[in-house]
Amino acid sequence: MSDIFCTYSGRRDEAIIAYLYEDGPALERSAFESHLAGCDACREEVESLRAVRGQLAQWAPAALGRLPASVADPTVAFDDRAIAGRSGPGAEAGRSWRHEIPVWAQAVAAVLVLGVAAGVANLNIRYDQNGLSLRTGWMSPPVTVSAPAAAAQTSLWQADLTRVEDELRAEMRASQPQTVSAAARPAPADAETMRRVRALIEASETRQENELALRIAQVVRDVQTQRAADLTKIDRTLGVIQSNTGFEVARQREMLQTLAVRVSQTR
Amino acid sequence: MTWTDEELVARSIRGDAESFNELILRWERPIFALAYRTIGREEDARDVCQETFLRAFRALPAFRGQSKFSSWLYRIALNLCRDWMRRERRSPVVQAPENVDLLELAAAAEPSESIEDLVERKDRTRSVERAMALLSEEQRTAIVLKEYHGLTFQEIADLLGCPLSTVKTRLYQGLTVLRRELVKSEKTMVGRL
Repeated sequence: MSDIFCTYSGRRDEAIIAYLYEDGPALERSAFESHLAGCDACREEVESLRAVRGQLAQWAPAALGRLPASVADPTVAFDDRAIAGRSGPGAEAGRSWRHEIPVWAQAVAAVLVLGVAAGVANLNIRYDQNGLSLRTGWMSPPVTVSAPAAAAQTSLWQADLTRVEDELRAEMRASQPQTVSAAARPAPADAETMRRVRALIEASETRQENELALRIAQVVRDVQTQRAADLTKIDRTLGVIQSNTGFEVARQREMLQTLAVRVSQTR
Repeated sequence: MTWTDEELVARSIRGDAESFNELILRWERPIFALAYRTIGREEDARDVCQETFLRAFRALPAFRGQSKFSSWLYRIALNLCRDWMRRERRSPVVQAPENVDLLELAAAAEPSESIEDLVERKDRTRSVERAMALLSEEQRTAIVLKEYHGLTFQEIADLLGCPLSTVKTRLYQGLTVLRRELVKSEKTMVGRL
């Protein structure tokens, strides 16, 4: 025989939850299970809550599918190379996730970006036992030299380096009392470098301006296309409304004529 | 070789950044899912996820291993979610749009799923999101941790710092509210047909 009203002696809601999730002391759960066999109210409640759990299990928000590929595939390295190498819909996810990359990974990415940018700008960056050196490829195009010529060049280069070092030391000694003024006044070589840097910046700015103009033109074109489509749609809708109105007016006129005929007949 | 979380933590503390990266790879999906289901905003959930790992990284030397690394991470994430909700002074947001974009739906469809089935599935997802948004913060957190992260009652109690019986009560009350709300939206959906 089943109970209509529950007579469970313990904490019913906790017992239901423990039974539903199969969690908690086994003794408590088996006691409730025995109770369940004879209690309609509890059985119904357990079933309805189980159904709720079933619906909860289907809750898979779209956002959870938009995680970066690095999560879906742990073998993908979590750096900018993985993002840069992707194209299509995954690329968008990669870009949006970029700001979540840890600081150290961002630093690595920054160095990589610098490397790529340097390649584009034909810059030659070298870090070796002599420290960091930087030069543009435009100043000296790469030349292939034979071994003896290379040796000769090396000795020349070493002599140059020694001379430059001496000059620098001399300059440093001379400029110590007026460091600020000397630093403010660019040497001829510095001026040349500055001129080239300015030229690079100007070229970059021009390129960006061109890209911006292109994008604006694209947006304007898209807006115009959309506007034309909207106008066509409005025009069509107005046509339908006009034809409906015309039809309605004709019907009203017909009704009025019928009424007028009837009135005149009645008289 | 697969390292355990604890081994990766120890290596990270010794300065191996790659090990911490591995921990991120392992835990970012659960943490993002927890944050998203708790606060309901994708962008903010991403922020919470990012901040969780940032805080974990900063606090790593202080991690003594009294609890599991995942529990520690969950606690950080939940605290951040709580901060977010208090700062915003509002319930989780339901992001699903009112009007269904059929093109988007078609793109999201499984090969064997018809558009009608897909719309129904989306409707159900939206109903659950709406119902979840009506729960109190405590009820929602308990349900998310139990349903989607499979934590035991005891683990949830430890994480939230409340008695075991409170966890069960929150789950019961939460499921009861959800049942009521889901029945309501079921009726609305049937009425629309």
